Amino acid sequence: MKSAKNSPLKDGARVAIIGGGPAGSFFSIFASKLAKDLGRRLDITIYERKTFVNQGAAGCNMCAGVVSESLVQLLALEGINLPPSVVQSGIESYHFHTQNGNVRIKSSRLQQRGIATIYRGGGPKGSIEKGIQSFDDFLLHKAVECGAKVEHIIVDEIRMERDKPVLYSRGKMLHDCDLLVGASGVKASTGEMYEKLGTGYKAPSIIKAMQSEIEMGNNWISSQFAHSIHIFLLHIPRIKFVSIIPKGDFITISILGKEPDAGCTKVFLSHPEMRKMLPPGFKIPEKFCHCFPKINVGAARKPFAHRLVFVGDASSARLYKDGIGSSYITSKAAAHTALLYGIGEEDFKEHYLPACETLNRDNLFGQFLFHVNDLISTISPLSRGYFKIIQQEQKNLQKDAHYSDILWDMFTGSRFYKNIFIRALNPLPIIRLLLAGSASSLRKVFFSHQ
Amino acid sequence: MPEEGLLGRIYKDDEIIVKEGMQSRTMYVVQSGKVKIVKSDGDKEIILAVLNEGDIFGEMSLFDASPRSASVKAIGEARVLAIEHEGLLKRITMDPTLAFRIIKQMSQRIRNLNSKLSTAMRTITQVNNKLLLLNSENVTFRDRETKSSHVIDNIAQIQKELHKCNELFIQNESL
Ligand SMILES: Cc1cc2nc3c(=O)[nH]c(=O)nc-3n(C[C@H](O)[C@H](O)[C@H](O)COP(=O)(O)OP(=O)(O)OC[C@H]3O[C@@H](n4cnc5c(N)ncnc54)[C@H](O)[C@@H]3O)c2cc1C
Repeated sequence: MKSAKNSPLKDGARVAIIGGGPAGSFFSIFASKLAKDLGRRLDITIYERKTFVNQGAAGCNMCAGVVSESLVQLLALEGINLPPSVVQSGIESYHFHTQNGNVRIKSSRLQQRGIATIYRGGGPKGSIEKGIQSFDDFLLHKAVECGAKVEHIIVDEIRMERDKPVLYSRGKMLHDCDLLVGASGVKASTGEMYEKLGTGYKAPSIIKAMQSEIEMGNNWISSQFAHSIHIFLLHIPRIKFVSIIPKGDFITISILGKEPDAGCTKVFLSHPEMRKMLPPGFKIPEKFCHCFPKINVGAARKPFAHRLVFVGDASSARLYKDGIGSSYITSKAAAHTALLYGIGEEDFKEHYLPACETLNRDNLFGQFLFHVNDLISTISPLSRGYFKIIQQEQKNLQKDAHYSDILWDMFTGSRFYKNIFIRALNPLPIIRLLLAGSASSLRKVFFSHQ
Repeated sequence: MPEEGLLGRIYKDDEIIVKEGMQSRTMYVVQSGKVKIVKSDGDKEIILAVLNEGDIFGEMSLFDASPRSASVKAIGEARVLAIEHEGLLKRITMDPTLAFRIIKQMSQRIRNLNSKLSTAMRTITQVNNKLLLLNSENVTFRDRETKSSHVIDNIAQIQKELHKCNELFIQNESL
């Protein structure tokens, strides 16, 4: 008979984690560390179908590969320092390319290379770079150092037998466990497998994105993209948003839009604003490493049950931002619940669900802020005013950096959306923006009549 | 090592990362190389501790807003990641376990200080005993010539021990 509450994971308890991406590794690391502090030992197995050492999509967890400023700092505090073999580029600024011109934004708070660009697998197909260690492989090794075992195997069936989850792969029983952790991202077939358990879990809603890896050589990338992530907000048909992330010899082009396809990358590379940044004589390659990963844009329903908890993308993630940081938050909250409170449905509801709800609520503020941002960009005088203010602020960050910091925090994910929302409501800067917008339209009217 | 993949800021040998007396609430984590915590004593510099990769410093500023109690300088080339104070405090309110590692490091430092303090106390007691002895010897003073060299030796030794003691107290003050 399953009880709503259950005791915490005991000494020697068996934990099975499906998925060795960031969420699975984080759960394993934090559960092992806390268990050690409590004088317990856990028997953790991570089931992961990939190895993260092969080049191309097959060995990769496919994302833009930006580890946010806040996550870099949190990991350092946890004693997880990202080594240069994992960090492809240390980022210190964001460079916005808009209809009104370009502006480079730095944080007014810290002057350092505080954001990391990383690969989620063994690097792009055809890359000859040596010594790349993927972020996922690095974290998985950390989990193993903390005591976890890793089995490179796909889990395709789960059954509840004698009150415990039992895992199967291709008809063969793997083992039963005291706690099952679903850290399998947004893979559709795995999501369906969980839904079939009938616990009320519903996989998150998703949208498709497009990613391409284009080789340009380290020297060119260092000179053109130097320690900066480039964001393009250019009103190109079918393309809503493009980011370029420098990584050694390659740039990662990440596109959000209406059903993006490989053609979108070619259209984007041919845009005059982008052409300026390409090496002389650059020809768009016929073939390049690309993929169509899915982004979690709506939280999973009921990400927990008796002896079962979902973390990372399989649960809740921050909207368009810091998905790896969200995995850190949900995995840590779930690990602490399982060790300190219990592994029953009520335990997760009481102690784990609030962490997911914080992210979900915050995403509502995020949605609103992105709408406002879109709105500003469609009203020309306002967007010109906004752009001018940011340019001025960047000249003297110590004096005033209100809008720069808002933009920085929105795009880097350094602050929660709610915090940004509250700052955005400050009336004085709003008046300043409206004045700048009016001045810009007056200037336009005046000069067009001369 | 490619320069691209380096996070934080690089400091050259002897470059100041944190300046004694300055008001700042940033915390730091050493990413590579070594740094030293130093305290100036007149025109002398006393090294209080040497920190390695992964070590945290400036953590006291998380809990109080007092000026920096010591300076931190790079030993050779060191790479250091700054941790933003306000962001961290907000995260700690959501996840108090984030402060565990900082508290663990602080409690280790308190243990070290306790052992240094008890050494200092022992030295003071020894010095005190010697002074008492000297005093009583002065009272029963007979052979002025031989005794005076004995007194000078004792005073030199006392001076040395007091100096050692002073250094320990400076460390206690700043850590
Ligand atoms: C285009 C795009 C760009 C992004 N950019 C960023 C970014 O720059 N920064 C950022 O922080 N986040 C970014 N994200 C989000 C980020 O990728 C995710 O939030 C993050 O990967 C979630 O981690 P996870 O461990 O939950 O899932 P995943 O990383 O998807 O890992 C799940 C793992 O489970 C394994 N698995 C699945 N099913 C099974 C099974 N049945 N058996 C065995 N193994 C299984 C998979 O092989 C995989 O390794 C981006 C996402 C997209 C789509």
